[in-house]
Amino acid sequence: MSQPIKCSLCEEAATVHLSQVVHSKVTKVHLCEACAQKGGATDPAVFQLADALTTASPAPTLTCPKCGFTDIDFRKRGRLGCPSCWETFGDALGGLLLKVQHEASHVGRAPAGTSPAGQLRRRLDDARREMEKAITGEDYEAAARLRDEIAGLERQLAHS
Amino acid sequence: MSSVEDILAAENELTHLLGAQQAVVLSTRIRLARNLDGMPFPGWAKVPQRKEISDRCVEALDALPKFRRGHVLRMGELGDRDRAVLVERHLVSKELAAGKSGAAVISRDQTCSVMVNEEDHLRIQVVKAGWHLRGTWHIAEQLDDALGGSLKLAFSDRLGYLTACPTNVGTGLRASAMVHLPGLCLAGHMDKVSRALNQDGLAVRGWLGEGTEAAGNVFQISNQQTLGLSEETILKHLGGWIKNVVEQEWNARRKLAQEEGEKFVDRLARSLGLLRSARLLTSSEAMNMLSHLRLACDMGCLPEERRHLVDRLMIEGQPAHVQARAGQELDSDGRDRRRAAVVREALKDFPEVIPPTA
Repeated sequence: MSQPIKCSLCEEAATVHLSQVVHSKVTKVHLCEACAQKGGATDPAVFQLADALTTASPAPTLTCPKCGFTDIDFRKRGRLGCPSCWETFGDALGGLLLKVQHEASHVGRAPAGTSPAGQLRRRLDDARREMEKAITGEDYEAAARLRDEIAGLERQLAHS
Repeated sequence: MSSVEDILAAENELTHLLGAQQAVVLSTRIRLARNLDGMPFPGWAKVPQRKEISDRCVEALDALPKFRRGHVLRMGELGDRDRAVLVERHLVSKELAAGKSGAAVISRDQTCSVMVNEEDHLRIQVVKAGWHLRGTWHIAEQLDDALGGSLKLAFSDRLGYLTACPTNVGTGLRASAMVHLPGLCLAGHMDKVSRALNQDGLAVRGWLGEGTEAAGNVFQISNQQTLGLSEETILKHLGGWIKNVVEQEWNARRKLAQEEGEKFVDRLARSLGLLRSARLLTSSEAMNMLSHLRLACDMGCLPEERRHLVDRLMIEGQPAHVQARAGQELDSDGRDRRRAAVVREALKDFPEVIPPTA
């Protein structure tokens, strides 16, 4: 008798089988009833998440030094262990973040009292990205303005 | 009196305040996911750590003026029915209610509730009746600033607010509107609208959030992306779409009323008649017919000042609310009987449905 297919997220037998076509390549995800329910298998964002999780390697290759969380734990839970995990798994999560968020870095509010240097760095990242966009869009006037802003920010950072 | 009984008895904006209710948009909600720096997320934390997280967060929240004379509810100390009431009122999530180590700090007027030890350490929620995106956001922003002043929050320059799940990292912001779309549903356009929203980065869910069906033609529309977009951009994007959906809903309603004529009024009048005389009423039946009454209030078929009563019945007709009001556990038949009695009593002096004026 053949082995039943196991859930991609835990060890239970899979009863929900999802197929999705991305760039004309078929990807399949197998989930048990509980994980499918929990993950909301009909939610396209979660589906992409499960998809990315199942392509991870089977042995732990990364461990968070702060809380002991591993990439295998992430594969099982789809959640991280602690804020420091973002440093440990940041690079490994890059692709997944782009899939579910379409962006790789933060724009927006910061807690009161965040270091001014941090805020400068963030503005610098934003300005660099905006400049690239402006160049691609052949908006050279905006690109020039952003170039000057970037130079100013870099000067301020060097002195902070 | 338990705190949950207090919450049930208190008059609040969503159930009582006359004039706060609006056509189409039932409520506006802002949610911010926040975490303490240096502490494991609740799903990975050990029991003593979860206790420490809860104590630190509750202490900080309790000190804020917004929560003066409010409620601090620890899930481990509440019975099943009380927790279900809180879920039905959208004050806490099903996930928080299911665990023992979660807590909720709720403002006296019930517009702000902060969940502690849900998926993240802190989930700040602000809800206003009607469509008030700016005002709701402003309250959430102030709460966030106040909390950030007393707690060190997990934040990275590159990734923003750090959360347990990659789908919330960045702003941690989920902005949503609870919308009542009977026109689009009756016209059969809801699938199309839903697809258009999904394609432009918005999620469409049922009345009680993720994985629930849209009882009473009520849907929750929210942003999906939290990283790489500023709060301002997220709010603008949602705001633009809600305006658009409200417009489409009104078009569908007017078209239906015009094309169907008497049949349109008849449908609404029948629902009122049924609700006024039924002896047994299931929760989904009640929701679907109350949806017709809300539509009638919006269209001038019933007086607009009755709308808040319809909204209240939508909330108080849910199973845990019915039992809490009865003060006892009831089986399914008992709940349906009790629900029917509450609805009959509330609607007994409702005027007759007249042809639309809106």
